[in-house]
Amino acid sequence: MATVNELIEKAMKKAQGAQAVLKRTESTTVSFENDRLKSVKSAQGTGMSVKVILDGKIGSSHTTDMNDADGVVSRALEAAAFGSPAHFEFPQSSKGAEVAIYDEAVLPVSKEEMVWVGEEMMESVKAFNTDILLSAGVSKGVRHREFANSAGSDFATSTTSFGVGIHGQWVRGTDICMAGHSFGWKKRDVDHMAVAAEAVNLFRMAENTASVRTADMPVIFAPEAVNVLLLALTMGLNGKNVLLGASPLAGKLGQRIADERFCVTDNPLIDFAAGSGRWDAEGVPHQMTPLVQDGVVCGFLYDLDTAGRAGAKTTGNGVGCDPTNLVIKEGDISYEDMVKSTKEGLVVHDVLGLGQGNVISGEFSVNLHLAYKIENGRIVGRVKDVMLAGNAYEALKKIAAIGDKAEWAGGGLLTPAIQIDGLSVVAK
Amino acid sequence: MREGMEKALRNSGADYSEIRIESVDASWADFRGKELDSIGSSRTLGGIVRSLVKGGWGYATFNDLKSLEISVKEAGESARLVGKKTSKLAEVQPVVDKVVSVMEKDFRHVSLSEKQSVIQGYNETILGYHDKIETSNVAYRDSFRKVWYANSEGTFIEDERPDAGVMLSATARDGDNVQRGFESIAGGSGFQIVEGLEGKAETAARRAVDLLSAPPVKGGKYTVVINPKLAGVFAHEAFGHLSESDFVYENDRMKELMVLGKCLGSKVVNIIDDGSIEGLRGTRRYDDEGVKTRKNYLIKDGVLVGRLHSRETAAKMGEGLTGNARAIGYQHAPIVRMTNTYIDKGTDRFEDMIKDIDLGLYAIDMVGGQTAMEMFTFSAAYGYMIRDGRIAELVRDVVLTGNVFATMMHIDMVGETVEFPPSGGGCGKGGQSPLPVGLGGPHVRIQDVVVGGR
Repeated sequence: MATVNELIEKAMKKAQGAQAVLKRTESTTVSFENDRLKSVKSAQGTGMSVKVILDGKIGSSHTTDMNDADGVVSRALEAAAFGSPAHFEFPQSSKGAEVAIYDEAVLPVSKEEMVWVGEEMMESVKAFNTDILLSAGVSKGVRHREFANSAGSDFATSTTSFGVGIHGQWVRGTDICMAGHSFGWKKRDVDHMAVAAEAVNLFRMAENTASVRTADMPVIFAPEAVNVLLLALTMGLNGKNVLLGASPLAGKLGQRIADERFCVTDNPLIDFAAGSGRWDAEGVPHQMTPLVQDGVVCGFLYDLDTAGRAGAKTTGNGVGCDPTNLVIKEGDISYEDMVKSTKEGLVVHDVLGLGQGNVISGEFSVNLHLAYKIENGRIVGRVKDVMLAGNAYEALKKIAAIGDKAEWAGGGLLTPAIQIDGLSVVAK
Repeated sequence: MREGMEKALRNSGADYSEIRIESVDASWADFRGKELDSIGSSRTLGGIVRSLVKGGWGYATFNDLKSLEISVKEAGESARLVGKKTSKLAEVQPVVDKVVSVMEKDFRHVSLSEKQSVIQGYNETILGYHDKIETSNVAYRDSFRKVWYANSEGTFIEDERPDAGVMLSATARDGDNVQRGFESIAGGSGFQIVEGLEGKAETAARRAVDLLSAPPVKGGKYTVVINPKLAGVFAHEAFGHLSESDFVYENDRMKELMVLGKCLGSKVVNIIDDGSIEGLRGTRRYDDEGVKTRKNYLIKDGVLVGRLHSRETAAKMGEGLTGNARAIGYQHAPIVRMTNTYIDKGTDRFEDMIKDIDLGLYAIDMVGGQTAMEMFTFSAAYGYMIRDGRIAELVRDVVLTGNVFATMMHIDMVGETVEFPPSGGGCGKGGQSPLPVGLGGPHVRIQDVVVGGR
């Protein structure tokens, strides 16, 4: 089996620059379906990737066969012969950022323990109501990665992960309510009972149904639904979309696009968070990148090649200019007070149909899959057959309140609840 | 390969075991805007062992073929941890077979530079179409997948599964107004299907530019005519997933909802899933449990007559096998999936469908869709208003939503020609995406559809 440095050596016989990555992964997943343990899966994987610059052009290749060093290098060189022009040089050796991404406590967790974690979550939801049909999952993983390039960068990282989730279906007559909660990061320390308790909370609030009229009204997006407001922005802040003019934020650096309390940062340096790491996939040290400050666009995300093309500097978001962990700054009002101060409105937890249609322009038109009605400062029940339509960029200018407690909302998004004034709610 | 797999299976000690090994040679080229964004190739070899002990499943995946016997042991141990009841699988006659793919122009013999130059032409067509075209994304993908399947009952199948496709996307911009036009094509018959697509590239560019000046559709209830592609999406997304038995067999509510013999749609509605139609993207001789694919009626004359099965769900529901256990790749166990799903032809002509509509909508193609049980939300790529029996102005942001059963009851006319538009992409379920599937249908008219919009 070749080392990363041997791969670089092979590639550099012809290329002027090269990068090599070796990966080994192991994971275990325990799955519960329809109220019972369904399967246990273990996965072992290997991978080897090579990227070269040959006569100013880039080529890449990937294989799972760790004995195919010659093949992977020659295929990368073949691709580079007519590849895309390189607008960068491979980065030199660097220390990398200080951030915790490895937790030894993940390794000894047995399949039996994972089964037990899942069973405890299921029991806890069943204690609320045995009619709720449950599925659940518990997973753990470890990934070892070796990286080297022809500019002298050479490092190895190990990353762990642990996550749990529970999801239920509650049927009463012709009414079906689906809700659930999950949490995962790079650390064993996951409070699975808190995850189950949140699922119970969502079902409890759905015990009653409430009616809603077609009107413009204030809407609170719970952390797990804030992505309705952020999806277009995330695409718009992608340096490649900016460079190509596909982003409506192109040319708007320094301009106000949102309420002045709204701040967004890309932060890969939060210990054990899902998107954290010491270096990006191109060997560039991770960094914090402010993107929106006081409602004003102050930065975009770049990888090496896009930065080269745009005349910018990489922000360590390679490859692809995508965010690591997006962090929305906390406001000053508690979620409870946000609800209390609302005379008539909605709280949204889950939607159907996000990411369809003309996403990058901010347009959305979604079905409220899990949402609750607020009347006179109280949540009175779940609403059904309701659509929410609007433009995410316009909504960010109409922020009524930002919650004072940020929570992880699936993967790498850390956000408080956000309330928007006057969104168009269409009842059927 | 066969000897090693069968030897490993002999020591599994489980009620049932199978091994699926796959090698995939893939290549890609991507243009974004004027420049080539990425080009390369990959070679993957890996496998999965699946074992059943007392009704419990254990899976183990691997890349290193030398660890085959260890993985068989691991899958068996996991299955023993899960299994507490009895193993039930529908009976299948063991089969030994070899499926050899036939490509008119084998993409494995086409150089990367030729693949790149073909899509470069399309990219130039898009970028040069109009000065409002802001950027483009043209992507080529191919993969040649070879599958070796063996199970402890004596089945051994070698299967070749080629797939090649092109995605063409144009972005037009006028100030803050950004619109996209999108076309795609994919299939297993060879490289020739991605050649000569300048017309499609121009179509994508024209649509993006035209949508800049198209108004968003006004929300409300309309009589809607959907085109063949959207009809296929409806058959697959809105209804098809409900007939996947893994959603049904342990769920009392779904069993009640999906009782065979129940009337679920108007008399003109016929929905079929057929993995044996030659030349479509969801076509296979065998599924990923070694079960032969076939034509399965799901809805006949508005009545639910069948559903899709794996060996486990068929046994547990006491119904016949359908050949619908599929996996996207070696990292996943097969689950119940559709193959080629379509609404069958009716007797109506398109002109007759629109001629008595005073105010309606002609919805075309799809850019996204999501379902939750019987609720669906689809975004059509674009649409035209129907006014006084005629196709009128282009509209954008067309989102259709509703309850699938109510909607199927509201289908009142079905066109006389079924089409299977050869589009790319695929279906996602249970973390397995994209699975190549075929979608099709005729034009279909539906009354009282809720169309979202501001």
